Amino acid sequence: MQRRSAARLGPLLLLLLLPLAWGEGPSPPRADGELQVSNRLAGQAARVALHYLNYRTGSPSALRALGQVRKATVKTIPGIGHKYYLQFTTEDYKSSQNVGTCLATVLYLKRKPRPAVNINCTYTKDQKQTREDDYSFYKKMRQQTKPITGNDIPDSYGNIEPALEPAWALAVAGSSYLMWEKSTENLGYFMAQVKNVKQWITKDDSIDFDYSVVLHEIPTQEMISCHLRVIWTPGHPLKVKYFCLSENQRSESGEGSGTESGSTNGIFNEEEANF
Amino acid sequence: NIATYILSGPYCWMDNLVTENPDLVSKIQIGQSYEKRPLYVLKFSTGGVNRPAIWIDTGIHSREWITQATGVWTANKIVTEYGKDASLTAILDTVDIFFEIVTNPDGFAYTHSTNRMWRKTRSINAGSSCRGVDPNRNWDAGFGGPGSSSNPCAETYHGPSPHSESEVKSIVDFVLSHGNVKALLSIHSYSQMLLFPYGYKAEPAPDHQELNDLAREAVAALAALHGTKYTYGSTIDTIYRADGTTTDWSYDNGIKYSYTFELRDTGRYGFLLPASQIIPTAEETWLALMKIMEHVRDNLY
Repeated sequence: MQRRSAARLGPLLLLLLLPLAWGEGPSPPRADGELQVSNRLAGQAARVALHYLNYRTGSPSALRALGQVRKATVKTIPGIGHKYYLQFTTEDYKSSQNVGTCLATVLYLKRKPRPAVNINCTYTKDQKQTREDDYSFYKKMRQQTKPITGNDIPDSYGNIEPALEPAWALAVAGSSYLMWEKSTENLGYFMAQVKNVKQWITKDDSIDFDYSVVLHEIPTQEMISCHLRVIWTPGHPLKVKYFCLSENQRSESGEGSGTESGSTNGIFNEEEANF
Repeated sequence: NIATYILSGPYCWMDNLVTENPDLVSKIQIGQSYEKRPLYVLKFSTGGVNRPAIWIDTGIHSREWITQATGVWTANKIVTEYGKDASLTAILDTVDIFFEIVTNPDGFAYTHSTNRMWRKTRSINAGSSCRGVDPNRNWDAGFGGPGSSSNPCAETYHGPSPHSESEVKSIVDFVLSHGNVKALLSIHSYSQMLLFPYGYKAEPAPDHQELNDLAREAVAALAALHGTKYTYGSTIDTIYRADGTTTDWSYDNGIKYSYTFELRDTGRYGFLLPASQIIPTAEETWLALMKIMEHVRDNLY
């Protein structure tokens, strides 16, 4: 008698636990298929793909922000996770001008810590110009005898001192690594503010900065403080080390050197139909 | 005390608006904040007795500074356009507008004096060193569900009970005793979205079709001015599951046209939107507000 009722209870308990397992926010889609372009999970996945792209591109002058999601589909891969197929437009981070379209896949894995991203984009901004802008920032920083510092970028009123703008953009690029790492299907991030920036003058070819940044976490609305060390040479992969503190004093840290798996321009093996 | 100085700005301006437009605007106090600041609402009315009304609030989340600023601009706009713009004049000849601009004054003062990123109220939580309740999780609609937090230190802490926050209770009491509110528009930032119920459940609202169609029109009107793109839809589909929200409460209390705005931007500046964007944001938002108010005027129930 007892064994039978326990057996009936088991699956019921599992069903009750399911919503809790996904945490805050809407449950991931139960049905595979096309999502509305306004669906927040589609926008979330597109942003994850862009965090990855911004990190891998490693160019403060070529940062991209999400424009609009044009198409989004999701597929459950049993035992592995959820895979999003996305098509979206992008905007230049500084000017908001449209700078091209991307096709991307984002795979949220059940076991590995970070989403697996493949992304392929057209880019309509003048790349010679962005390389020059990057190099001009780099040269200026290499020539510093006194390390640059700054606080609250943007300030409370949204102001960014023009002289500190490229350092802020580099913080966005560096934070992109960390935001990519931390993102899950339900948790997304924006870089809210650079609380502090301090340059390290080095003897090697790179320019080095220590940043304190504040990330805005969705849907929890928490403001997460992180320290970043960003080491950069134009045209080379960004090196990022980070350390974050959360509300319950849990700390998380990570290190990126541009060798992580994923692709930004590789051969696209995905079937057209998936998009 | 910088907090007092900062708040004296909007409060001063409000009194001026009333003094200069006594036939159109009056100031009502609906209650007090936790720290005993007055909760003021501007009433725009051309007469009548207990006319159907539209409620608008800005600044319920104190760090969303673009909203209080948009509120000030919008209140000025209403006064300027009455008697000039035929549609707005027809709106005010039919319905009253109640406008609470600094809906969370304690939080607002705190964003100026101490922490620019403060979101919640400033109430003391028993047994915790963390203060504040999320005033947009404290409403009696799906209260306490997983789309809010039970941790007093969390940004989405729902509070010990529905309407525990005086900032929330004051609105509840006012709206219910008014009894004739037909639309409730709650203004937040950021994300560029126009949302309608529900946030606490996936089941579409009975008026989903109409609310969705009106949202589509409103965001189209908004986009026409400066090209700003908004997404729209139910809260739960478009932004995230949220329990105990203002507009879910108002909808469940018979206020059909319940909308939440998330103003500019989509994350570059986030809460720290530059002042240069205040007027463009307010101008475009006005067009969306007008679409909704016109629809309310023409579809009273």
